[in-house]
Amino acid sequence: MSQALVEAGGKLLNALGRHSELIMQAYLTGHVNEQVYSKKVLDQLVQLQVLWRPDPQSSLRLKAAVRTLLEGSLQDERNRTINANIGASLASLKTLTEHYKEALHYSRFNEAHAHMTDLTEHVYQLTESLANSVRVMFSRINNEFGYVASVEAKIRENELAQSQVSELLTQLECFRFDELSELAGSNRELRQLLVVALQQNFSKAAQELAVAQARLLDLLGRFREFQGRTRLLKGFLLHMEQQPDFAPGNYANLSGVPVLFNQSADLLGDAHVDVNNVGQENEHYQIIAALTDIQRRKETTVPQASAADIDVSEQESVALDKAPIQLAVEAYFCDVIDSGQPCSALTYYAQKSLTFDPEAWIYQVIGGYQALDEQDKQFFALDTTGQTDPTFSGNFYINDITLGLR
Amino acid sequence: MMSQTGHVLSQLLEGKFICQVTDEEAWRFLKRRENADKLEPHLNLLNRTLTSAADGEVFFAAYLSLGDDERKVLQNQFQETTSALVPLVEWLVLVQQASEADMPVTMGSAIRLNELQSVIEDTPAYAEQLEKISRYRLFNSTSVNLDGQLKQVFRRLTDMGYLIKPNQDKQIYLATGRIEHLYDMLKFIDETESLSLSEQAEAAISQGNLL
Repeated sequence: MSQALVEAGGKLLNALGRHSELIMQAYLTGHVNEQVYSKKVLDQLVQLQVLWRPDPQSSLRLKAAVRTLLEGSLQDERNRTINANIGASLASLKTLTEHYKEALHYSRFNEAHAHMTDLTEHVYQLTESLANSVRVMFSRINNEFGYVASVEAKIRENELAQSQVSELLTQLECFRFDELSELAGSNRELRQLLVVALQQNFSKAAQELAVAQARLLDLLGRFREFQGRTRLLKGFLLHMEQQPDFAPGNYANLSGVPVLFNQSADLLGDAHVDVNNVGQENEHYQIIAALTDIQRRKETTVPQASAADIDVSEQESVALDKAPIQLAVEAYFCDVIDSGQPCSALTYYAQKSLTFDPEAWIYQVIGGYQALDEQDKQFFALDTTGQTDPTFSGNFYINDITLGLR
Repeated sequence: MMSQTGHVLSQLLEGKFICQVTDEEAWRFLKRRENADKLEPHLNLLNRTLTSAADGEVFFAAYLSLGDDERKVLQNQFQETTSALVPLVEWLVLVQQASEADMPVTMGSAIRLNELQSVIEDTPAYAEQLEKISRYRLFNSTSVNLDGQLKQVFRRLTDMGYLIKPNQDKQIYLATGRIEHLYDMLKFIDETESLSLSEQAEAAISQGNLL
């Protein structure tokens, strides 16, 4: 028997897993899109009591049990139903307790054990549903009924939630712990279930519900305030539309000006610097140092030149004229090549009676040598004559240079 | 360094509104009775007194006794206030309608400029409304594009102290206690002039429903 039950349960859960997409779609949209899924699958799910058809014309929907399971596990805020039927649960608890006690009395222990399991299940179910109801209530309060847009809708939702809270509170009054404790008698297990477990959850739920009720009233007040403000603004605009020349009486002229319109003008200006205060000298210096002095140049007005025609037909070729000193150096180099004899720069200078500054001449010769490319440099040797500085080592004064062929 | 008392006093004398959003520390300071009592003689010396509006949510300095000069200031202020009412109320309604939650702007409400802008851009009626609002002398926008109009309106509101921008790099604005002060003024005008504005609005809404 129990083996069959396990198998059937496994089959159901497998079906749920296999068709999770279909079930979630049905959960979100409210009904199944029958064209998309095969008829066989749908029939199987109907047979497993996952889906049902409320009446022949309507589409397939999820069974309430599956929906509740999903809402509970997903903590979906759309879950707005609150199971407040505590009275019925309590009655069934009492009945089960009677069964259990009777079974014990007649020493039918197997039967008693079964009743006990059943009773435990019921008690925990009841406490869970209580906790769940409170949780649902709070999740709705916490996001301030964010799932509806307008303030009016929020107010309606708030009223619904309030009625549910008061319903829950009246249901909680069904708990009569004196009766329950009498019922449990001296049986330890029964007392544990009926008195301890229930009472703990009861007090917790009652406490939280009281908080929820206060918060709901608070929220309702705020929503009403919002509504009032919106009306005030819209009413004012409407009024101004109907009577564009409306102006409120001049309240500032009344003998007692209303507080709202009595607003003093600003009084404090900036303070000034006290240069005689020695204590602040440092700060003053810093301020002055940080000042940027802006000097504006007088704008020089350039008279706009009149446009001239630019002749673009012919461009003169540009030739780089060499300086005379450069030409002289070149001649010196050629002279050395022609004669094949080394010749000092100053000797050549004297021979040709050149007119440049002798120092510039020597520099130019060195420059001319350095300016030759590597290959041409190979042909020449440059020798310097001069003396070292008498005082400072490493300094060498050049008097003359001699250029020769290698 | 100025003490907290000095800081609060100078804020009040500068004609600022102190609320939880603009300056929480100063607001908490003023919430304590003994601190407020300590400030009062200083304010009285300058013919001012500490006043609160919107159930103690906003503090500001009011004149203690009213002479001719003070009356002149108040009258000017009153003129400004009444001329600013329509643009401000229209702006409040626009922001409320354009925000998804349909919640009125109250102290501490966050307004994300980018979100608001995209909603207004997508809805021609709102864009038209914004254009109208931005043309009021209070906001004085000359911009032809929506972006410029919206930015100008928010800049002006921040200057006037109705909004603050807690983070300069982010386009998120918070409504300050001055908004509450504005609601209070509207309520006061409504009651004093017996306009029954709420009833008018309700009647208009129910007529709309009938149509």
